[in-house]
Amino acid sequence: MQDKHLQEEKPPLFPTWNYWYILVVAWLALLIILFYCFTKTFS
Amino acid sequence: MSSLDWIVLVATLSVIILYGVWKSRGKQSMESYFLGNQSMPWYIVLLSIIGTQASAITFISTPGQAYTDGMRFVQYYFGLPLAMVVLCITFVPIFHRLKVYTAYEFLEQRFDLKTRTLTAALFLVQRGLSTGISICAPSIILSSLLGWNLYWTNLIMGGLLIIYTVAGGTRAVSYTQTLQLLVIFAGMFLAGWMVVHLLPENIGMKEALQVSGKMNKLNVIVTDFDWKDKYNIWSGLIGGFFLALSYFGTDQSQVGRYLTAKSVKESRLGLLINGLVKVPMQFLILLIGALVFVFYLYFRAPLFFNEAQLARVHKTEHGAALTQLENEFNSLSTTKQQQVKELAVALDKGEQTEIATAQQALQATEDKAQHVRAEAVTLIKNADPAGDANDTNYIFLHFVVNSLPKGLVGLLIAIIFLAAWGSIAAALNSLASTTVVDVYKRLYKGEESPEKYVRMSRIWTLIWGIFCIAVAQFASGLGSLIEVVNVLGSWFYGTTLGIFLVAFYLKKVGGTATFTAAIIAQIVVLILFWMEVVSFLWLNAIGCMLVLALALVLQPFMKKTA
Repeated sequence: MQDKHLQEEKPPLFPTWNYWYILVVAWLALLIILFYCFTKTFS
Repeated sequence: MSSLDWIVLVATLSVIILYGVWKSRGKQSMESYFLGNQSMPWYIVLLSIIGTQASAITFISTPGQAYTDGMRFVQYYFGLPLAMVVLCITFVPIFHRLKVYTAYEFLEQRFDLKTRTLTAALFLVQRGLSTGISICAPSIILSSLLGWNLYWTNLIMGGLLIIYTVAGGTRAVSYTQTLQLLVIFAGMFLAGWMVVHLLPENIGMKEALQVSGKMNKLNVIVTDFDWKDKYNIWSGLIGGFFLALSYFGTDQSQVGRYLTAKSVKESRLGLLINGLVKVPMQFLILLIGALVFVFYLYFRAPLFFNEAQLARVHKTEHGAALTQLENEFNSLSTTKQQQVKELAVALDKGEQTEIATAQQALQATEDKAQHVRAEAVTLIKNADPAGDANDTNYIFLHFVVNSLPKGLVGLLIAIIFLAAWGSIAAALNSLASTTVVDVYKRLYKGEESPEKYVRMSRIWTLIWGIFCIAVAQFASGLGSLIEVVNVLGSWFYGTTLGIFLVAFYLKKVGGTATFTAAIIAQIVVLILFWMEVVSFLWLNAIGCMLVLALALVLQPFMKKTA
């Protein structure tokens, strides 16, 4: 029942929500790397 | 404030109130009052979530945090995107599928009435008191900086938003938060631009960043692990994750925001995009603080940014000693003004030896200035033990009031009110929904007409509004109000999160075991705090782990009854 409910709620841009979750985690990782470079560049 | 500032302030606040009242029109049902008929698109959910979390103190205190401690505070938010993912996988689909008004309704369906009522009661106590303090905290700062009467400031800070919150419920709250955030972002962008614009002609954004970095204010990432250090990447990812999961998953002021979405998809999108934008947003607010630090290298900063507090100390027997410290600090400021120019020249040339020499000279003077400031703080504590010896919250507004042009000052002061209104309105709406749905409707009045429930919802929004303002009027003597809010949250968040985690992940554990575990955990948490065994931040984790462990241990003894 839950799976059927979720299938009706397909996300925009990607085929499944898992891709959105990966995007959020990957974006966080990218930000941390950029912030690290920012810290090193200006320190 | 100038006449122009007053016009901008009054006009901005009036537009928001009128917009809120306009959005309140139409006949209301309980579903529209508390869930907005579950019709909100993801971008309204997103802005509402951000507007609820970002209180007045967020915009007052965060730049000051970067000024004093650098930008590493941003790491505190690293756990938030991870919590958004867990919420979207677990909490959101369950809340939507069960069509609940409040998060606590789910607990009765999963456990029993007593567990639901206990959790709702913990929320009402914590959120009711902390909302009152959230009204008082920015009021104290504004009244101190601008010489306003504290009681009237509290009344306006917590009172005007009641007009549209009572009338329009969650729909008015969400739409006004959207407009409020647009004004807030525009104002903060202008403030950031003005900081750089006000620097000397030859100093642009790049040079300001270089100077700020050399003074260790752009320390965004700290990789060293230290239990006692609040802000490093590890405490941010792990501690921040549990804090965000607890806040967004179990606090009705946030749950009520994403329950207004028209589908699971819209709730998820709102939360996930919050996970994408929250960290950069905090980074930019902190960057303003790091730039304000550079501004006060070129232009003289006061010894202590809460100048009303300084004036009180001047009137005591410690006044002469304070004047001496001020003279010493001013002399160091003049030296810094010369040294920062030398550092900028060295940075422009790119000569590493010259840069290192100039940086060391400036850092040495800055260290001496900080030492003088520390002496001043000690003196203030001795002269006025009941006063506020922490001026972090005054730094950004001191810059705003004393350095920004007319009109922009009024806009920035309006932003403080709007940020406060956004979070307070969501809190009042959630306090009313929990009172009506989890207490009034469930425990006292089973079935009544929809009109009666809407009337009761409005009455309870008003009652909670009056209660929070009353708390604010008495809260000014509680010391550091930010810490009081955090302590209050830490008393209850751990137990509440523990109950929800048992509900989601320990399927074999029943209501009586969870209820008993929660009661014991709550008592232990309060005793630990009272005995000062650990810092209050640890109470979140201890409360949560205690509920999980005790529920598992107690369950075998409860099998026959629950």
